[in-house]
Amino acid sequence: MRRNPAGVAGAALLTMLLFPIYWMIASSVTPESRLFQSPPLVPSTLSLDHYRALFDERDFLIPIRNSLVVAAMTTIVVLPVATLCAYALARLRFRGRALLLALILAVSMFPQISIVPPLYLILRELRLLDTYPGLVLPYVTFSAPLAVWLLTGFFRQLSPELEEAAMLDGASRVRALWDVVLPLAAPGVATAAILTFLYCWNEFLFALSFMLGPDRYTVPVAVTLFRGRYQVPWGQVLAATVVATIPVALVVLAFQRRIVAGLSAGASKG
Amino acid sequence: MSRHVAAIEQEERLLARWLVAPALLFILVGSLVPIAATGWEALHGHDLRLPWLGRPFVGVANFVEAIQDPRFTSALLHTVTFAVVTVPLEIALGLALALIMHTAHRGRALIRLATLLPWAIPTVVAALVWRFMFDAQAGIVTALLRTLDVVGESFDWFVHPLAAWVPIGAADIWKTTPFVAILLLAGLQTIDPALHEAARMDGAGGVRRLVTITLPLLRPALVVAAAFRMLDALRMFDVAYVVTGGGPGTATEPLSLYAFIVLMQRLRFGYGSALSVTVFLLTFAFALMWVRALGRSLVGDRT
Amino acid sequence: MSCSLRLCVVLVLVTVCSTSCGERALVTRLTFSGSALGPEAELVQRQLVRFGERHPGVEVELRVTPDAADQRHQLYVQWLNARAPDPDVLQLDIIWTAEFAGAGWILPLDAFALDVDDFVPAALAASRWRGALYAVPWFIDLGLLYWRTDLLPSPPRTLSELREAARRLQETGRTRFGLVWQGARYEGLTTVFLEHLGAFGGGILDAQGHVIVDEPAAIRALTFMCDALGRDGFVPLSVLTWQEEQTRFAFQNGDAAFMRNWPYASGLMQDRARSPVADRFAVAPFPAEDEGRPTAALGGAQLAVNARSANPALAWALVRFLVAPEQMLERAQLVTQLPSRRSLYDTNALAQALPIPIEQITQLLDAAVPRPVTPVYSELSEILQVRLHRALSGQQTPAAALREAAREIRTLLVRSGLASEEQAP
Repeated sequence: MRRNPAGVAGAALLTMLLFPIYWMIASSVTPESRLFQSPPLVPSTLSLDHYRALFDERDFLIPIRNSLVVAAMTTIVVLPVATLCAYALARLRFRGRALLLALILAVSMFPQISIVPPLYLILRELRLLDTYPGLVLPYVTFSAPLAVWLLTGFFRQLSPELEEAAMLDGASRVRALWDVVLPLAAPGVATAAILTFLYCWNEFLFALSFMLGPDRYTVPVAVTLFRGRYQVPWGQVLAATVVATIPVALVVLAFQRRIVAGLSAGASKG
Repeated sequence: MSRHVAAIEQEERLLARWLVAPALLFILVGSLVPIAATGWEALHGHDLRLPWLGRPFVGVANFVEAIQDPRFTSALLHTVTFAVVTVPLEIALGLALALIMHTAHRGRALIRLATLLPWAIPTVVAALVWRFMFDAQAGIVTALLRTLDVVGESFDWFVHPLAAWVPIGAADIWKTTPFVAILLLAGLQTIDPALHEAARMDGAGGVRRLVTITLPLLRPALVVAAAFRMLDALRMFDVAYVVTGGGPGTATEPLSLYAFIVLMQRLRFGYGSALSVTVFLLTFAFALMWVRALGRSLVGDRT
Repeated sequence: MSCSLRLCVVLVLVTVCSTSCGERALVTRLTFSGSALGPEAELVQRQLVRFGERHPGVEVELRVTPDAADQRHQLYVQWLNARAPDPDVLQLDIIWTAEFAGAGWILPLDAFALDVDDFVPAALAASRWRGALYAVPWFIDLGLLYWRTDLLPSPPRTLSELREAARRLQETGRTRFGLVWQGARYEGLTTVFLEHLGAFGGGILDAQGHVIVDEPAAIRALTFMCDALGRDGFVPLSVLTWQEEQTRFAFQNGDAAFMRNWPYASGLMQDRARSPVADRFAVAPFPAEDEGRPTAALGGAQLAVNARSANPALAWALVRFLVAPEQMLERAQLVTQLPSRRSLYDTNALAQALPIPIEQITQLLDAAVPRPVTPVYSELSEILQVRLHRALSGQQTPAAALREAAREIRTLLVRSGLASEEQAP
């Protein structure tokens, strides 16, 4: 395959992919006065004012805390639930297995808006609006399918001989699961945890509907609602977007291969 | 001996039930019950701001209202058009990106990173960045087009009902092409390189090999990618909310956003539930079509 | 993996504990929610602290809300619909009172003693729903025409004069734009439209509550606005995304000969250090044609008590404190907001505090026209905004837009069981 046309196209695509991120960072350190006057491609003066304002005036640590708490709580619930379910789907034979798999897949395809009305009314009745548990319920429901899907594919790739060996030695299925399979499942579980975290960090509609005030806003909602002023404070908004991107970027940097492998495996199997 | 096996199978079935129960519970309580409840609510008149009207059963009146509601038909049109326009673009660009990733020897890590970052970034963050880049005063895209004399001095994307779709489309395509690329890359990696070797020795050029070998073998992955993207495009909410808020007027308002406004701002839960049900039916109808197409595609592979 | 899992659990527990362990049971805490833009924020904070000093054991927390009224409204609706007990006292836009009262979200205030006669009648009428008082007017806003005294000898007396003057000044290059007003798709647009409606003798609802926004007078009004953007060209297309501040910037920088805006702009533009037009502008009522009368859209804020507040009596005490003449005068002096107490307009202190001559204000108070007082006002206004914006951006003709708007509003009123309601004032 000739390198040149592909090389040019590749460079172009790469630029299109990375430029907005570069621009986001560059603009976030451009002083406010220059932002509205066609700043140069490479900022000449750097200023951390926007970041200072973000944390001093707007207390941006609060949405970060909220997002972290919700993501942590969701992940803690999703991992065991999804792992057990995936194991059963991968290893055990039972009636309705295909139906369950189809159901799980179907749920991930639901439009989120379709379940907002009753969830809202129920959470209101239970006084769970504007609380962490109130958001965790829909988050678990919508991130579990991906985790189950991923882990099912993962378990299927694991050789069943190890558990069978353990069971032949007299261990029950559950014991085998606990002692033998779970330690081996660690990489798959880690990937599922990462994807769940990314989902929670990213999610917008439920957070917008069920969280009521700045005390409980998650990062996506807080960043979007900066737009309240007459003139959008782009400097601060962009600083906030950079801050919102950092955890995600770190996770992606650290676990690139795993994420790609996980998504591809889930996609081609299933 | 067979009784022993049967006993084990019985035990396994019981164990399976326990293992699966929590996930099933979440799905039921978190998804299925709410969907049914939305459907039930859609059959009632329920305006939370007019408590004196109560919550009467109104049958299909809400759906009838929707059909006659021009804002609903516009939103439906917007949603479908958006899906039909952006998804092929995303597939095409994703394919290009996947091919590059597949054949690249140097800079693989950089390409992978460049692909993963847009995918992992929160959708609202991507939307905000693109909104900024298209801003009439501060946006670099607008500035660039002005210097190239493509647009006038006071051109504002967000004031024109059609032009306002461009930033939305750009943000969505930028955000989701990587996901398509990853899916297609997995598909590319399953293609036996020997096939390409043989074709090359027969004298087939790159494009020819792409069309006759790669694409047909990639079909299942393409169908899966297209299906996922379609489903996401039909329920799109974040991008429109952040980039234009549905404006100017309601020119860029997709169905999910309209339903959200009716529910959470107008507090018309009955009508809003009917609109939500419509979004659900839209995605459900599409999913059905896809399942049949997928089935046909798999069968087609075997001949 | 289990190590980081443990770390996660600890992190979660610590965060949850630290958030809930911050409560102190000795102090009664009230929450006040209102606008907090710059000097206004400091003023409110100061007044809240003063209240706390006069009521030992009580602390009032100022809860910041977005500055755009539409967003604040959404937030209130979200909170109150979710049955949140706080904020205890809310600053409402004058157009929200009927809505919140109808939904049962705010307390009727007749049981509490208030000297209602001292308040501006038009504003008070907007605080009532089905006869009961649900909020107390706090300050008033009136739509005004700002004009450049260095470019014109006197303000235009009719709308046609305004059009001619604006075109002339724009075409001869004296200013970049003729007239600027708020044309973004939000509530401000409805108020601008209201003033144009009054100028042609039209309205949104008549005294019996019937929809009249599709009548010839209204169509003429909207046609005037569309022509101003198009054929006559003395209003720039950019106004379609402008709210109050953008129009103020345009006028303040000398780019516009006329501006329609609220009184707050006056104080800011008198700042000689920042405003190129300081001392070179004055205000006047928005002019009318012969068939209409000069109209000032009535805006402003009111204070209400959350129906689910844990301390209603204390919340009422805060309301009464904030609307006391002393606090109101301070507000007028520091942030140029027109008080809602009529007695204050006879005082010298107010005359000195306001950048606009008192006689002009009392004249404008007579020209004040409120927007329809109905629980479905925000939906009604949204229907109108969408249609107006479509007509102004050239997507629909004025007649078609208003006819559709009228039809939708009628359907809305019937559907809400409000069709034959008599609308105040």
